Amino acid sequence: MAKISSSLTALSSAAILAVYAVGYHRTSAAADRFARQGEHESPEPPIVTNFVAPAQALPSFKSKLAVPPENALERAANRETATKTEIESNGSAPAVTPSDPAPAPVEVPPPSTPEDIARTPAPVLEAASPDIPPPPPPPSLPAALQYKDGTYTGWGSCRHGDIQASVVIEGGRIASATIAQCYTRYPCTWIEHAPGQVVARQSIKVDYVSGATQSVDAFKQAVAEALAKAK
Amino acid sequence: MTAESYVRSTAVMGTIATIEVVGCDSAETAVDTAFEWFRRIEACCSRFDTASELSQLSSKIGNPVPVSAILYEAVQFAIAVAEETGGAFDPTVGYRMEAAGFNREYHTGRPVQAAFDADDSVSYRDVLLDPAQKTIRLLKPMLLDLGAVAKGFAVDMAARELLPFKDFAIDAGGDLYLGGCNSEGRAWSVGIRHPRHDGELIDSISVSNQAVCTSGNYERGEHILDPRRAHATGNAVSVTVVAQTAMLADAIATAAFVLGPPEGIQLLERIGVEGLIITPSLERFETQGMRHG
Repeated sequence: MAKISSSLTALSSAAILAVYAVGYHRTSAAADRFARQGEHESPEPPIVTNFVAPAQALPSFKSKLAVPPENALERAANRETATKTEIESNGSAPAVTPSDPAPAPVEVPPPSTPEDIARTPAPVLEAASPDIPPPPPPPSLPAALQYKDGTYTGWGSCRHGDIQASVVIEGGRIASATIAQCYTRYPCTWIEHAPGQVVARQSIKVDYVSGATQSVDAFKQAVAEALAKAK
Repeated sequence: MTAESYVRSTAVMGTIATIEVVGCDSAETAVDTAFEWFRRIEACCSRFDTASELSQLSSKIGNPVPVSAILYEAVQFAIAVAEETGGAFDPTVGYRMEAAGFNREYHTGRPVQAAFDADDSVSYRDVLLDPAQKTIRLLKPMLLDLGAVAKGFAVDMAARELLPFKDFAIDAGGDLYLGGCNSEGRAWSVGIRHPRHDGELIDSISVSNQAVCTSGNYERGEHILDPRRAHATGNAVSVTVVAQTAMLADAIATAAFVLGPPEGIQLLERIGVEGLIITPSLERFETQGMRHG
């Protein structure tokens, strides 16, 4: 069993190192060759790509709140957030070359064993249900005091649509953060833990969630945009 | 003590990818480079883009085709996982996904159709790799689907790029890699979505220097097919895998989703990764290391 374990883990680690060692320039050569061939065979320009099927193909998963968010990402591209959290428009980023390191780097992935995973419940995670009020903010959070009192809104986008957040600042602190409008294909109810976390932690940062978190990301963008206005 | 973080998000691979670097305000260049790996791998490995290297490879049947390091490594890993899982994970499932309606480019909604009729008997055994020449030879017409490998691969490449920063997080639509500690100096807290109860997490784990990926039929709808039966699976609603790399976690989560419990758990134990499988009746099956004490 140990042999199998090391083989697949080692194979994935080796793949990462192999591609990293080759670097962007050399790796791109074959792809560019194919792309040129593709241009001949397909007159249309390359389209933005995806690895999953759209929800429209799955009627049983259509949302009751379905509003066609056709321009969601386009709107995101036209919107700028002024905080450290930024959303880049797809494909508009300047070409950046991943590093082309010295040949044959003998680097080992970060040491990690199953024993390294602490199996205790997360210390900072609040999986608040809609019925449970968010916990009171900690007594002293100087970083939060930079906000001006008032109610601010911001928009966030994901491929499922747009979410508007409404943030209330009282006494320089985040008093509440709510989902004001939800124009996603799926109901926003499943990210209701996110607003509670924003208040509890006085931050746009919520815990990372494994398993399709695009709507949470959109909410974070929306809160970031709202908080930018509150500064 | 809470450290400031540098956080950026970008739209790539059909999702929003977020990178957080803890305690560093000069990570912009490295984060740019990390995101560029996503775009590079997407350009190579997308089956929805007819200009992608993967699509071009799929149109060349019978001859060894020299490919880039990215595509070679991605396919080689996918085939290795297919062999290990007895075909529960199979990158040649692409044509069956297309036949099942998974054939629309998400921005335009435009259907993407392969220019050939794939053989119904095609499997991962019809993909031959030449490690010396770095060529791939497809024995039959097929549509390779690297969806369960490519995003994890991109996360891993981004993680490799950010390795010097030690403390960082990469979130590609729920495919995560957590390096070092969070801004509070503790192991990263990762919630696992509840597969049925909206707004709830079914569990949370603390992770450091590992990847966490969850395969499930919720936000994106049913997108995992059983390669051995060519229809959507039904034994699990969510599978979470914690592994050293995201490409391994993602691929094994997909395979375990197809297998369902208890075979899925046996697979995870055999591979040496931790994981959690949730069934439609919300019964939990966990690896030994995943169980809380």
